[in-house]
Amino acid sequence: MSALCDPPGAASPPRPPLSAQELSQEVKAFLSGLDPVQGTPLSPPAHARCALRLLRCLPPARHAALQHLRGLFDDQVCSHLLQRESGAPSPSPKACPGAEVLQEARRALAELVAANPRAWAPGVAAWASELMGQLSSKYSGRPGVPPAASLNELLQLWMSCPATRALLDIYSQCLAAMVGSCPDACVDALLDTSVQHSPHFDWVVAHVGSSFPGTIISRVLSCGLKDFCAHGGVGGEAAAPGTAGDKRVPKIASVVGILGHLASRHAGSIKQELLRMFHESLGSPREHHKATVPFLLQLALMSPALLAAVSPELVDSLQPAVLNQLHQHFSGVPRDELEGVVGVVVHLLCHTSAGALRTLRFLLATAAPASVITAPGPALHEGVREACERLLQLLLLHLQKLVHGRSSPSLAEGPARPVPFLEALRPHVRELCLDTLRMERKRCLWQHQLLALLAVHSAPHGAAEALFFLLALARSPEELALAPQLHAGLRAVLPDPLPAAVGAAVAQIHAGRLPEPQLAQLLRNLALLLQQPQPRDGDGDAGGGGEAAALGAALAKHLPDLAQLLLHPGAEVAEAACRLLAACPLPRALPPAHLLPCVRAAVHRFFAGLWAGEAAALAPGVKLLARLSSVSAAAAKAVLAQLVEGALGGRNAELFGGTAEPPPGQEATAPVPPPVSLLDTNRRFTAGLNTSGGVWSVFHAGVIGGGPKPAPGGGRRGAEELSRNTQTFLSLVLRCCRGSGPAVGAEAAKAVAAALVEAVCPEAAGAELSWPPEELARATVERDLRILRRFRQHPLLFPLLRLVAGGRPALCYCSVLLRGLLASLVAHWDACRAASTLASPWHLGASCSLVALLAEGSLLPPVLGNMHELFPELAPFEVHLLLLSVWGYLRENSPLPQKFTFQPELGAFRRDFGRDGDVGKHLAVLHSVLHRNIHRLGLL
Amino acid sequence: MSDIRHSLLRRDALSAAKEVLYHLDIYFSSQLQNAPLPLVDKGPTDLLEEFLFQVPKERGAPPKRLTPLQELQLLEIMCNYFQEQTKDSVRQVIFSSLFSPQGNKADDSRMALLGKLVSMAVAVCRVPVLECAAFWLQRTPAVFCVRLARALVDDYCNLVPGSIQTLKQIFTASPRFCCQFITSVTALYDLSSDDLIPPSDLLELIVSWIFEDPRLILITFLNTPIAANLPIGFLELTPLTGLIRWCVKAPLAYKRKKKASLSNGHAPNKIAKESTSGEDRDCHQLYSKLHLSVLQVLMMLQGHLTEKNLYGRLGLVPFDHVVPLVEDINRLSDELNPLNASKEIELALDRLAQALQVAMASGALLCTRDDLRTVCSRLPHNNLLQLVISGPVQQPTHGALPPGFYPHIHTPPLAYPALPALPAHPVQTFIPGMTFPYRPIR
Repeated sequence: MSALCDPPGAASPPRPPLSAQELSQEVKAFLSGLDPVQGTPLSPPAHARCALRLLRCLPPARHAALQHLRGLFDDQVCSHLLQRESGAPSPSPKACPGAEVLQEARRALAELVAANPRAWAPGVAAWASELMGQLSSKYSGRPGVPPAASLNELLQLWMSCPATRALLDIYSQCLAAMVGSCPDACVDALLDTSVQHSPHFDWVVAHVGSSFPGTIISRVLSCGLKDFCAHGGVGGEAAAPGTAGDKRVPKIASVVGILGHLASRHAGSIKQELLRMFHESLGSPREHHKATVPFLLQLALMSPALLAAVSPELVDSLQPAVLNQLHQHFSGVPRDELEGVVGVVVHLLCHTSAGALRTLRFLLATAAPASVITAPGPALHEGVREACERLLQLLLLHLQKLVHGRSSPSLAEGPARPVPFLEALRPHVRELCLDTLRMERKRCLWQHQLLALLAVHSAPHGAAEALFFLLALARSPEELALAPQLHAGLRAVLPDPLPAAVGAAVAQIHAGRLPEPQLAQLLRNLALLLQQPQPRDGDGDAGGGGEAAALGAALAKHLPDLAQLLLHPGAEVAEAACRLLAACPLPRALPPAHLLPCVRAAVHRFFAGLWAGEAAALAPGVKLLARLSSVSAAAAKAVLAQLVEGALGGRNAELFGGTAEPPPGQEATAPVPPPVSLLDTNRRFTAGLNTSGGVWSVFHAGVIGGGPKPAPGGGRRGAEELSRNTQTFLSLVLRCCRGSGPAVGAEAAKAVAAALVEAVCPEAAGAELSWPPEELARATVERDLRILRRFRQHPLLFPLLRLVAGGRPALCYCSVLLRGLLASLVAHWDACRAASTLASPWHLGASCSLVALLAEGSLLPPVLGNMHELFPELAPFEVHLLLLSVWGYLRENSPLPQKFTFQPELGAFRRDFGRDGDVGKHLAVLHSVLHRNIHRLGLL
Repeated sequence: MSDIRHSLLRRDALSAAKEVLYHLDIYFSSQLQNAPLPLVDKGPTDLLEEFLFQVPKERGAPPKRLTPLQELQLLEIMCNYFQEQTKDSVRQVIFSSLFSPQGNKADDSRMALLGKLVSMAVAVCRVPVLECAAFWLQRTPAVFCVRLARALVDDYCNLVPGSIQTLKQIFTASPRFCCQFITSVTALYDLSSDDLIPPSDLLELIVSWIFEDPRLILITFLNTPIAANLPIGFLELTPLTGLIRWCVKAPLAYKRKKKASLSNGHAPNKIAKESTSGEDRDCHQLYSKLHLSVLQVLMMLQGHLTEKNLYGRLGLVPFDHVVPLVEDINRLSDELNPLNASKEIELALDRLAQALQVAMASGALLCTRDDLRTVCSRLPHNNLLQLVISGPVQQPTHGALPPGFYPHIHTPPLAYPALPALPAHPVQTFIPGMTFPYRPIR
């Protein structure tokens, strides 16, 4: 048999066709495996060559030949793997006859496919793919073979193996040959094999898919669709993946697997193809087009990657015309089938993540159009709207199930499964809240519901965020009502989200992310909520004390941060913050580090309110300070000190008719309002400047770099305004001093006193309380004069001192001021050469006030204390004498707090003058003066 | 039979199949000794279906499949069996019991196996198998014959390039099979669509066969006892009708195919265009040759018919088949723009006229000219055709023939024009006074 004995290289294609005789010999040899001439067994390569010859010459034997070649490829793969395992260097291909035959087989098949692709390609492709599937499954467990999961290693291994490489080449050639006309058969073979040998075969699909992305994608889809139709995909069972026909699932699963693999590289073309399928199917009466939408849904159901790729663009393409078509498309479908489709759609919506917000908006807009006036273009069918509405309701229901169902059964099981739809909406809470606050009929309800679900889903952070946005963005009471509604809903399932919401708000404020009007709005909203009356019965909320209380508690934790806002440059914001703080309950134990900045800011705010001159604006400030002062004694002290300092220092003095001390040696230049105030800045940075008063708060000439202080008396105010301001201020101070009791508290008064001393004459702040002999006063003339001047500049000082006097024995602590004033007055009257005291009215008034003060503060006994009534009738000299006698008295009976005793029945301190020395000797001058002027003082 | 079945059930697919063949041989040999025409009863047929064609008897039983290798072995065994069976009758009976369609679900695998067997027999030149197949083709409904023809054409014209030579060789081995093969192929490829145009290899093969010996066409007819009325649904006795259809319709069908491929947007590149046009030209020559052979055979036919005493009683070209042919031509020429395809239409009509005329003259086509006139009235104008359908004045020369038949071919009223001898330009002469506008053919 010459053909069999030929050397292997002689098996070249252009040989004359074998004669019938030769052929039958060949068949015999092939079947028996024996050399027909010698009767010895054929070597495997010779046997394979025999098969190749039959493949070329004997059409009915081609299947048998191909089957025989399987063994050849199998052997080659096996020996390749063995070689790899042993690590031996691969011998040259020439050395191995098997490898050579393998190449011959590859060439032969390539020739046949090239000669007549239509006849050969489908069969050869099926053979090659099936063989590859078998081989890769068979050797998957071998030690050298990487696991199915590591696709790249697998690809590398099999591509380096000549046998599988050849098979893959053959398959690719078949596909390439058929791509132009009808590659369905080839792709079908690939799909079937993929189903059978799924994980191990993936490398083939990956390689082929990336070589022919367009073909594979569209063919895989069309094969899948055909299969879907063939298995009654039009039926409603598409709804439930579990009940779908068992035979279809694997095919569609492999479609999904392949597309999923390709999605990483060719997402664009997949997306395009899917969309094309969708649009093509619309309005087409053909059967498999009817099934397209369910098929696509099923695909999306099984592959989140595909869903993500398609959904955003799909939503964009759903114009009214398309929607109407879709409606038409489904109008003929039976009801339960439709239910199934809707179920799938809802499920998919829940799993949409890309473009979730867009999808949601689209659904809302379609289900409840914003306006009756439709956009130009085809009108939307009423059925579409209804369908969308239904879809939305079902979606909400489904989400609710998911959200509430997932956490309740066992939290211990691990992290809850996220719902992609809600997960995707998380970053869009703000937009969602904005949409909700638009309060558009039905939409608002849905949106609110969704917001609640979202909040629960992404608790705790999401809940806080949602609440925060609702609070910050509401602009009317109705809108504001949404936040408590949401909160009430959330409280049922979550730990109270309010503190977190407030925390979020503060964080946002700190980050400066809120524009000024919105910030003010937020603060106002919070204040409003705090002030809302509690309509509850109260029994349920005995512990929590209602919503407002909860909010208050939450806010109280962030008091320092909120206090900062009082200093906000925007008046609106500051005012809103003031309102909020005024309504906010203050914690009992406020650490000084929090308290002092707060107080300082509040005082600043109060004066700012005074400057604004609006009573309404002032009220919250007053209330806030009053409440601050009632927190603790220390707080009250701080408030008072700040108030006094504020009222006397700087420009605020003008409010009360005072003049800021004229800067020495500086004529009045045009006041340039400083753009930056160091003081303000310091107030804002609450560090530093904690010493209330003291030398550091004194500013004589202005701020360096900011120019001098504005000239005194820049703005003249009406007497009425002045008295109103004074009244407001005093009543505030009074309220602060009173604390809980009806009378001015001693401690509070003392604080005011200290503050006064420091404000008026800081250098004398440490002076002793006891009075020196009158002669010694000469040593302090300059200081005394300054004190006098201060009193002149600040009319407010006298009422303030009177207030202090009310809180006995606090006035004692002002004795240095009183001493200085008295000494200056004595000197003035001594030097005064006018006939009547009326010639220097201010001094007269000051003297009168001083004496009255001393009497009020129980520093003078009643008799001496009343003599100021004489002063207007007397000559300056006489006043001088009288005042000297006052000095004398005080010199002898120093105004020391020890002289006062607490009298519990009055709840106040009292001084018993009876225990002091005789008053009589100090009354001698008075008596003389009385006698001398008896004609004018008859009234006494 | 049932004990045989039980013993077979235990074997593997291949040896069971072999075993069945063995038992079948014994069974029919003994039957044939008893009676000349054995009764084929149900038992052996069932066994065949179960063990040779793998149709499971019990429902749900997994079908035993032969692997392709086993199938090849089986084919070889069968070939050898038929080769070695010396008794013609046993061979025939076994072949037909194996492969006669039973109208059940085994038919598909039956036909597949038959296709492979015949294909194998062609390749390794097993004459007895081919002879059996020729008989089978005669006795089997045409739908199955067409399937066998398709299987062979696929194997030898499409799959293996160059293997057409193998098929060509069987002309010497089994002319009978060749004749039947041609008949079934013409039944398969009726040029009604682009897919049903015969592959050029096949065409060349058939033309070469017929051109070598035109009598090949008549082999079946001459070697078969003829019943006057042919059964319906079977292949015709001769491929004449089919070949006439090929020759007549070919110009129009090729033109349509070309037009379709052009309008499909496949603007053929230059090389492809040249090669296809070259191929087309070859085809046209082949059809011309074929037409000539057909006409020659038709002319031969008269003698054979007279010999068999069938002249005027057996229409080998049935009028019933001429009617759809004419309709097809009519439709095709309407479909093609007459302005573009005038040459092709003319050619088709010329060939039709020639064939009709010769067929009528030789007694293959039995009809009156009136019948022809009504059938052909809607065709586009063609001089020759007009001449043929109007015909000469009836001369009842043959008393034996019913009136209206025109038997003489050798004394036509007009000289039979040989196509190549035509003048280069048509001579348009109009002779007034004629009852119909007479124009000499080109």
